[in-house]
Amino acid sequence: MASHAQAQRWSFKITPTRILLMLLSAIAVGVIVFRLVTGLGMVTNLTDEWPWGLWIGFDVLCGVALAGGGYGTALIVHVLHKDYFHPIARSAMLTSLIGYLLVMAGLFLDIGQWFNFWRPFVSWGHSSVLFEVFWCVSCYTTVQILEFGEIATERIGTKYHDIFKKALPVLMIVGIIFPTLHQSSLGGLYLLMVDKLYPLWWSPIIFLFFLLSSFFVGPAMICVETTLAGRAYDHWIPIPILRKLIRISGYVMIFYLVLKIYDLISRGVFGLVFSGTFEANMFLIEIIFGIIVPIVICFSGFSATRNGLFTFGLLVSCGVVLNRMNVVVIGMMSSTGVSYIPSIWEFIVSAGLVAMGVLAYCFIVENFKILDHNHGHTA
Amino acid sequence: MSKGVLVDLTKCVGCGSCTVACKLWNKNDWDENPSIGPTAKLTDKNWTVVQFKEVKDKQGEPVWRFIKQQCFHCKEPACVSACFAKAFQKTKEGPVIYYPHLCVGCRYCMVACPFNVPKYEWEKPFPLVTKCMMCDTKVQKGEAPACVSVCPADVFKFGDREALLKEAKATISKDPKYVKHIYGEEEVGGTEWMYLSDVPFEQLGFKTNLTKRSLPSYTEAYMHATPFVGVAWGVILTGLYHYTKRRNQIAKDKDKNIKA
Amino acid sequence: MQNQQEVQEKQKQFTRRGFLKMMGGIGLTGITATVAGCSTDPAGGKGWLPQQYQVASTFSTQVKGRIPIDPTNPSITRDDRKCILCGQCVEVCQRVQTVFGYYELPIKNDITCVNCGQCTLWCPTAAITERDDIDKVVAALENKDIHVVVQTAPATRVGLGEEFGMAPGTFVEGKQVSALKKLGFNAVFDTNFSADLTIFEEGTELIKRISGDIHEPLPQFTSCSPGWVKFCEYYYPDLLPHMSTCKSPQQMLGALIKTYYAKEKGIQPEKIFSVSIMPCTAKKFESARPEMNSAGKHAGKPELRDVDVVLTTRELARLIKSKGIDLNSLGDEKYDTLMGESTGAGLIFGATGGVMEAAIRSAYFLITKQDPPEALLNLTPIRGLQGCKEASVDIPGVGTIKVAVVHGLSNARPILEAVRKKEAPWQFIEFMCCPGGCISGGGQPRTSLPPSDDVRQARINSLYNADAHIYAKRKSYENQEVLALYEKFMDNPNSHLAHELLHTHYTDRGKQLTVKRNNA
Repeated sequence: MASHAQAQRWSFKITPTRILLMLLSAIAVGVIVFRLVTGLGMVTNLTDEWPWGLWIGFDVLCGVALAGGGYGTALIVHVLHKDYFHPIARSAMLTSLIGYLLVMAGLFLDIGQWFNFWRPFVSWGHSSVLFEVFWCVSCYTTVQILEFGEIATERIGTKYHDIFKKALPVLMIVGIIFPTLHQSSLGGLYLLMVDKLYPLWWSPIIFLFFLLSSFFVGPAMICVETTLAGRAYDHWIPIPILRKLIRISGYVMIFYLVLKIYDLISRGVFGLVFSGTFEANMFLIEIIFGIIVPIVICFSGFSATRNGLFTFGLLVSCGVVLNRMNVVVIGMMSSTGVSYIPSIWEFIVSAGLVAMGVLAYCFIVENFKILDHNHGHTA
Repeated sequence: MSKGVLVDLTKCVGCGSCTVACKLWNKNDWDENPSIGPTAKLTDKNWTVVQFKEVKDKQGEPVWRFIKQQCFHCKEPACVSACFAKAFQKTKEGPVIYYPHLCVGCRYCMVACPFNVPKYEWEKPFPLVTKCMMCDTKVQKGEAPACVSVCPADVFKFGDREALLKEAKATISKDPKYVKHIYGEEEVGGTEWMYLSDVPFEQLGFKTNLTKRSLPSYTEAYMHATPFVGVAWGVILTGLYHYTKRRNQIAKDKDKNIKA
Repeated sequence: MQNQQEVQEKQKQFTRRGFLKMMGGIGLTGITATVAGCSTDPAGGKGWLPQQYQVASTFSTQVKGRIPIDPTNPSITRDDRKCILCGQCVEVCQRVQTVFGYYELPIKNDITCVNCGQCTLWCPTAAITERDDIDKVVAALENKDIHVVVQTAPATRVGLGEEFGMAPGTFVEGKQVSALKKLGFNAVFDTNFSADLTIFEEGTELIKRISGDIHEPLPQFTSCSPGWVKFCEYYYPDLLPHMSTCKSPQQMLGALIKTYYAKEKGIQPEKIFSVSIMPCTAKKFESARPEMNSAGKHAGKPELRDVDVVLTTRELARLIKSKGIDLNSLGDEKYDTLMGESTGAGLIFGATGGVMEAAIRSAYFLITKQDPPEALLNLTPIRGLQGCKEASVDIPGVGTIKVAVVHGLSNARPILEAVRKKEAPWQFIEFMCCPGGCISGGGQPRTSLPPSDDVRQARINSLYNADAHIYAKRKSYENQEVLALYEKFMDNPNSHLAHELLHTHYTDRGKQLTVKRNNA
């Protein structure tokens, strides 16, 4: 009985790191309120030349990409029924849910008429790629919340658990369609910027690159996340599972690389890669450290170690972040003519959102059955 | 038949009447951003500006040129295609107009515009996008846009775009002083505002490397394919779900059978 | 006691509630303002335009737009916020002064402007004004190390009073001097003095041209009006040899203040700040012409300007008012000696025909060594507001001299075309840029719109009245201070030093524009 009562209590460990994260979140909330009241001019360094900055580039584009692990895992585990990967499924999808909620928050902050956010639901600008992104992200986040309902009802509102459980397969399939569409659409947003985005990034198939990268970054994020969670909760996912998982990434990345090279050559801009310009160098960093080195790690013995997996995860994740920032900021620099450095407040809000995400993750992991303890301590 | 404006930059004397007319008609405030001169640029309150540039003419002599800037009113506008709430709309008369009440404030239009025309009210708590409306209420009544009607130097011609284009072609073939290019004829699929100049357009700050294809056409195919891809993908996933489930079931059964 | 506490508690509650209410109110107004304020109309088009622009079709309206003004124009400036696009500046610039619209497009690297400032008089909202240089003068007056000298043009004394509620043309010469002394100017000189001097120099030049001592063409053109001079440099550069080499009275006096006056007074020229009060915006341009540094060059300091700052009549009025001085209440004071004496001949420089009349009075004397007959002291054919006036004067020993007087640049064009075609019967032509002459210059007090001929006439009458009835002397050669200047400093008219300080050269501006050929 005593243990049951204990299980019912909500728990949240307070550590120095968490206090720091809470502090960061609190400051960010302050900045957010200030921004919502005063507009964008005072808080951000955005200008008419740089209408999109850190919040769109990092919070939204990177956020969505990094949260992409959820749908990939759902595809592998729940649709393809690769039960082998079951141990990682719940945590991957939780990361994804939190990621999407943060993306929504980031978007909400970035739009000027935030009280008007619902407008595209009734005023359909259906020619816009953003329209598709908007609908897909909205629907997918709803689906994810419902998916999480299956986990949540294990503890609260348990009487609805069966309904959620029954609905889960449908939710899973819908929850894969939407992200597939909008992951690619985020790239599709840049189809219009044919004369503005640097040719190394602009491509008539930029949406494919966005989709592929959002897919292969999923396992990478899982590697990072499980390593961190492993340290924090002493819950280690077996190396072979992760290794097998990143192999999937590896194959997709090889395809991505080949497609990228083919795309550059076919558009006659391959020469730009080694032109020595700032853009070219950023592109090279992105491709070498974000794609080529991780591929080598993936198919070498290094990936059989925890360090190898973590390095792979970190490189690929950073590579995708760099790719998104390159598209939003670096690749647009030559056409705008002026540079953009986000303000301290933009950084604080972005960091604060991540901090809130980490705290929420910790809280949920400690109170719901996310990390499967049956598989713990085996590594 | 859409209305357009032909701008003959060789006739501009830089008086800035057009910028004043724009401010008066659209009730836009004056601020510290000049609307004429070397540093003039489009802002949320400057829907049109006359930029000053000292350039070299064909003989290499320094000459002063004034570049009237405003929205080009693309025939197929990227901003209209980009807006996910239909806040930007192309009218049949030609002007590309903006409905503030529909705007969410995402600024995709600003990123999408090949000419960087839409501007944002950065200093306002609830900022809107702003840009030249080509005085659409005047154009609907058959009146020229405000800036066009006040010009004392006959820089502008207002009328049916196709007729203006014909006239522009005749002008540049007749008079050798003009650059043999009508800016706006083909850029991003054609614009309602078109320019003639005696100084190469790139020297006057025009973007001359723009595609001739309409920008929305880059996303149209993509958007059209989306619903089908979505449905097809759903069908495939459902199929895979049932297939793999059944396969696993069979495998499990086999396992059991063997064990048994 | 308890009661008090309750009251306090209540107050506290009230304030808290009030605070919440206030915050709620702010939030609500914010949201309603944005939501309710959002009509479903497209943006723009909520303002107004003058009626002539609200017409369907593309027919051109007659009066439209505004003139271009170079932001670096030394004479005039425009406040865009006040411009209503009434088109009046274009009207005066194009139809009265024939400047705008008289050059081919595209323009070269100059915005053609003769700096006359007539647009500042026509602009109904005073969006176009003179470039305000009052601060520079105030700064100089406050600097105790600087000796500030001022000169006043003939025409300001019949305009300044209007800025203080007096009737048009009121003669306020003495009050103006008095006000300037009150403002702290160290010396107040009269440009009339250098007008008299101009007569000596220009008259001598004319006689030399007629006699063939100078190989320059006839007719000789007057050069006192800087707007006219620039007009000629732009549109008729081929006729510049006709232009008298004499500087304008302002620049003559400016050059003398930093040489003759500095020497007499024992002051370093660089310690002198020379201000002139002019009815004219073009004078601001003239004083800034690079060659107008004769005194400086003479002293080996070419960076010195002959005239440091030009204030228009309107600016002087503002300066006087800003110091709380009421012109009406001031008594009359006299100009300082050395260069303060003047004759009626110098005074009437301010009216159209005045330079010519003054010149004829003295030319008669210089040639015949006799005083001119009474008829020449009231040369009515060249007085008044008719655009182009002519007269023939018989001078014994020379014969009949034919002269013409033109004011307003549109009136100058047919005369100049005739000169160009060698069909001009005149020996001497007076050109004034502004209609009516300096009394209606671009720096004079504003009147009704367009500038009223009644006011012009009143100011002209005032000048001629003073010439006939107030001034003791009516002929430049009677000006003792001018005679003293020649005796002590410059020997005689057209001497070497006179050429160095009082004469100038002109700039062919024909390359700065493409003159339109068929509408001249």
